Amino acid sequence: MSLSDTPLPRISRPWDAHRVTLALCLALVLPLLAAGLSRGAALLPPLLLALALTLAWQAVFARLRQRAMSWDGIESALVFALLVPAGVPLWQQGLALSFGLVMGALIFGARGRGFLSPAVVGLSFLLITFPGIGPLDLGGPVALAALPAGAGLIWLGLLSWRVVAGFGLGAALLALLLAGPAALAQGLTSPALMLGLVFLIGDPVAGASTRLGRWTYGLLGGALAALFALSAEATLGTMPLQAMVSAALLASIFAPLLDQLAIWQNLRHRNRRHKHG
Amino acid sequence: MDTSIRASGPVRQVMLRRGRDLIPGAAMARGPVETRAVDSVALLARDYPGLTLDPQVTVGERVVAGQAICRDRHHAEIVLTSPVAGTVAHVLRGRRRRLETLVISVEEDGAAQPALTFDHGSAASEAQALRDLLLQSGAWAGFRARPFGRVPDPQARPAAILVSATETSPWGADPVAVLAGQLDRFQRGLAALPRLTGGPVYLCQPPAADFADPAPGLVVVEVSGPHPSGQPGPQIHHLHPATPEHPVWQIGYQEVLAIGHLLETGRVSGQRMVSLSGPDLAEPRLVRAPLGAELADLTRGLREDGDPRPLSGSILDGRDQDYLGRHDLQVTLPGPATKGAPLPPLWQRLLARLPRPAPGSAALLPMETFESVFPFDILPVPLMRALAVGDVESAERLGCLELLEEDMALLSWHCVSGSDYGALLRRMLDRLAEEAGT
Repeated sequence: MSLSDTPLPRISRPWDAHRVTLALCLALVLPLLAAGLSRGAALLPPLLLALALTLAWQAVFARLRQRAMSWDGIESALVFALLVPAGVPLWQQGLALSFGLVMGALIFGARGRGFLSPAVVGLSFLLITFPGIGPLDLGGPVALAALPAGAGLIWLGLLSWRVVAGFGLGAALLALLLAGPAALAQGLTSPALMLGLVFLIGDPVAGASTRLGRWTYGLLGGALAALFALSAEATLGTMPLQAMVSAALLASIFAPLLDQLAIWQNLRHRNRRHKHG
Repeated sequence: MDTSIRASGPVRQVMLRRGRDLIPGAAMARGPVETRAVDSVALLARDYPGLTLDPQVTVGERVVAGQAICRDRHHAEIVLTSPVAGTVAHVLRGRRRRLETLVISVEEDGAAQPALTFDHGSAASEAQALRDLLLQSGAWAGFRARPFGRVPDPQARPAAILVSATETSPWGADPVAVLAGQLDRFQRGLAALPRLTGGPVYLCQPPAADFADPAPGLVVVEVSGPHPSGQPGPQIHHLHPATPEHPVWQIGYQEVLAIGHLLETGRVSGQRMVSLSGPDLAEPRLVRAPLGAELADLTRGLREDGDPRPLSGSILDGRDQDYLGRHDLQVTLPGPATKGAPLPPLWQRLLARLPRPAPGSAALLPMETFESVFPFDILPVPLMRALAVGDVESAERLGCLELLEEDMALLSWHCVSGSDYGALLRRMLDRLAEEAGT
């Protein structure tokens, strides 16, 4: 007699790791095409380098840990290649991306076990270690291409609308307070802002994981991005890449704390209910 | 807040907005009632977490319906009784010689056999006599106490009792159809419950059902909303949150019906009405079957040899086992490919071509959906993380004591990692119960 257990539900699951990677990569197709139009063939070497490096690192760690190969780094590689300004030497890019992949995700185990986005870690490394990197040379079309990508990810649940709304609110409020309405202009057509919001700040791994936490995380990210942009004498429309990456990094570091605040708020609420219940 | 509780007249109404009907438009089993012959029934110890059972019968012994077949080692008053007349066929023991499974082969004309009659005269008036009757007849094991989900202590008095007469699982048995024609019996059982508690008894029923009128000590609540609003977990959470100091008992409506039968006739009712359904069945069927019925017998003629095994429970959280679980009112025949319906077809066809990653290889990905399918004022992602790493303190602080395995089904279904949070929660609750010394 056997009483075997199959813990998994027999109804097919909507998501697994491969599907998440595929959805994120599909969302990147449109921005990549738009970037390809503006940069031409110059986009290809960084893209191929990033993909090859990612697969190599993931294969190494899969071998070290004796686990099945995971593919989630592809998305980080694409985001990284998309956001690196033209003219950065390939060896610098490779070093930065390797740092991001290993320190941002792989040493923790896998995607979702760390608390930072590998692309953000890699970009931060690049911008801090090699000063003098120029502005992001992508045009308005790339920024606009991030709109449908973001909308699709929100619809699938992979991007939190609360983070996006919080970011918009935080950035707009701070820009209005510090510099007046002029600083708000053309935020939607800034490629660093739009891509950074959808693919860096919006990365569910790096963000908060409660509803209240997502609002505050978005607000913090937006306020920091606007603050850094304005202190570099730019506006939301000319958001420097540095401002966006630093904002994403800092907001990610604070995300667990913001979640903790949400947990305390929930505890207080539930304790009150229990007393009256 | 995503819940509205309002009192309109004497019947309260609770609308739960969070949740998800995985198979929109799935019909409920409404009858006509079929009776299917079953060759064997079993008592599964896993349906009674916290009890350490010792068999009271030996292999080959004949038993009648209502006869005690096993007893709890720590509370000798708690017994489980045979739902049918038959012969003990198997006794399977596990760790420390505790009973795991007890199989009884059903006698062919079992219905004609005399069932044990209990003295039910004084139970109608005396509280202690009612308790004794429920304990002796095995009906006591129909209760589950939150926190921990265990059969309650024989002398305990809960802060409230909740009767869940609602069903939101896909293709579930419609309580309205099951209770039709038996309402007086159900109400007789319901009327006895206030004598077990110092607090209120809640009856949760579907909107527009009229199972009982509100009475002193009885609160009638109409619950609506997507799955899992029909399960006792969210209902207790919103009506009367359970805490270790103020435990709340839950009981299914068919258990209450069986108590009504017991109080009326003095005999146990070992029969339940379950839904027999699946994606390949044109229409769910309503089947009368004994408790612990062998699933292979119940589904004979409905499935072919190569088909997946029937599940005890719904397609979402049913278990692959040989016999019907004590609290399951549904048997599901999973088709070769049962699909959920949250994504549009093109997207799904594309995804179906992808290879599946090895289970356990991915970590939890905190998506917004978790909150929208979890109708509790409990933060799902922090709780899932605490369960995944076995952090007892955090899990307790985050509210895991209000939950049972079944409440985690939608979270497990939606999680990228493939973890079974229900099983993780059960392990956590057992540890916490051990620490609490219950």
